[in-house]
Amino acid sequence: MQLEVQNLTKLYQEKRGLLAASFQVEKGESIAIVGHNGAGKSTLLKMLAGWIVPDSGEARVDGIDLKNRSALVRKTGFVPETPNLFDFFSVEYNLKLFARLFQVPFVRIAETLQEFDLLSFRRNRIEVLSKGLKQRVSIGRSLLADPPLLLLDEPTSGLDFEMTTQIYGLLKKIHSSGKTVLFTSHRPEEIKTLATRIIALHHGGLVFDGAPSDYFRSSVHENLYA
Amino acid sequence: MIRNVVTLTLNDLAIAFKNKTLLLIFFIPLFVFFSLKLVDRTDADFQKIKIGLLKNESYSPGMLQSIQSADRLFSTFWLADREEGKRWLKDKKVDGVLAPSVKEPQSLDLIVLTKASFQTTAIVESVAALQNAFEGKGKNWISDIRSLQESAIQEQTLPTWILMLTLLIGLIILPTQVAEEKEKNLLLGLLQTPIREIEWLLAKLFLGMILIGAAVIFLHLLGRFDLDLESGASYAAFLLVGGFCFSSFGIFLGFLCRNQASARTLGVLFYLPNLLPSALSDFSQRLAKVAPLFPSYQFYGPIKSILLEGGHLSTFPLEWIYLFSVGLGSSLLSYLFMKKRWLM
Repeated sequence: MQLEVQNLTKLYQEKRGLLAASFQVEKGESIAIVGHNGAGKSTLLKMLAGWIVPDSGEARVDGIDLKNRSALVRKTGFVPETPNLFDFFSVEYNLKLFARLFQVPFVRIAETLQEFDLLSFRRNRIEVLSKGLKQRVSIGRSLLADPPLLLLDEPTSGLDFEMTTQIYGLLKKIHSSGKTVLFTSHRPEEIKTLATRIIALHHGGLVFDGAPSDYFRSSVHENLYA
Repeated sequence: MIRNVVTLTLNDLAIAFKNKTLLLIFFIPLFVFFSLKLVDRTDADFQKIKIGLLKNESYSPGMLQSIQSADRLFSTFWLADREEGKRWLKDKKVDGVLAPSVKEPQSLDLIVLTKASFQTTAIVESVAALQNAFEGKGKNWISDIRSLQESAIQEQTLPTWILMLTLLIGLIILPTQVAEEKEKNLLLGLLQTPIREIEWLLAKLFLGMILIGAAVIFLHLLGRFDLDLESGASYAAFLLVGGFCFSSFGIFLGFLCRNQASARTLGVLFYLPNLLPSALSDFSQRLAKVAPLFPSYQFYGPIKSILLEGGHLSTFPLEWIYLFSVGLGSSLLSYLFMKKRWLM
């Protein structure tokens, strides 16, 4: 089992957040986490990425507990909705910094630049790149240490059709290389294209966990956004 | 058009309120009001001058009687010799020492910490008034003023500039940088790597201390201020601990803010009360009493003494420990905030 989540809970003052979510993920799955705004999707991913400290509950990635952050970060890559890159530095600098902190050989930088079609932009400062390119750098950076689990928070939010298609292609490639992918999404076509399983959240609770075909046939899909 | 301008102005005011900029508007007048309250008033008793007289030297009886009888102006203290007088001056137990002149009989040498101070002016004016009352117009009783700080006026302002630079880097630049890293999720991105929280914190502390060190070295190079080796070691020790204290406190301030604008505002709120009472303590007895309450004075006082009065690290162990403790406490709080992902 790649990921095991048990009663993971985080409540904010406005009573939003995530309530005792429990599920398991097998290696190689591609899971879309869906739900209305404020349902707890991003909170779930941020807790798994160590951005938010849970109020209670547990989660393990390949048997490693969330509290063991330094070991967990080698198992999990996280791509936030807004790329958190050092804007005033180049693409290459951003990758080098993280390669150094992960202590991975610099050859991974060249591989990443090649793999994500960023070679011609490697000397460009992040601030001059389009959002789609920033997202590619962000995904590339999260995979520098070759983690088996990739978490993406609305990976195509705010992107045009062409960039969205490019990101879909990248994510399919990443998934087919054997990595487990968890992503949040509002887009039905994205879910249909990328997901092998869907987890639906409503007001912080888990209301559906199953195959995409079952999800789109069920009333959950319609009620979720009603 | 007017409606749009009004709407935008209200929006700007709302932003200023949200990022706490408006706090400055209230804080600065409030700060000025309290500072003015603290500056000395013309209260005779309050401004009584503390004068040291020397037991082992003989004074003209007339002068001595005049000075001792003017108990509304002076508090007099009998000290063993000139060396003890210098020690009392450095410890600020007396404002000046009146010693019989070695060059001119029937005259006095005034020994003070610094010539350009309100205490020196007050002593000279008061002794001149006494002389006038006692013997009318005549040769001035004070024939020479000697300062323990023989350095040029430029050098005498050096501790104030160092304090200003240290506080600027510690309380304005560092909180803004920390808040920026939080605001743009850069810190969380870094914590997505195997680095430990303490490593990030140490790197930020080193940044602050390096910036402070570089600014001070640059200041010395530009002003061509020299230091001997022994003073240099004490000076470096206080710069290090001061840099640590204010960098650490600045990082802590950064953790209290969600964005850069709030951090800048909070930085200024701490910058002014730390800078002004310490920097102006030489010019007001009241401010000199209030200033030690601020960490900045525990840094400024020893730096001034080491640079201008031949002070030494061993004279200020409590100040050193105080600065180190404030730095350590602030770092500990920052570490806890990081662990909790506070306001991130």
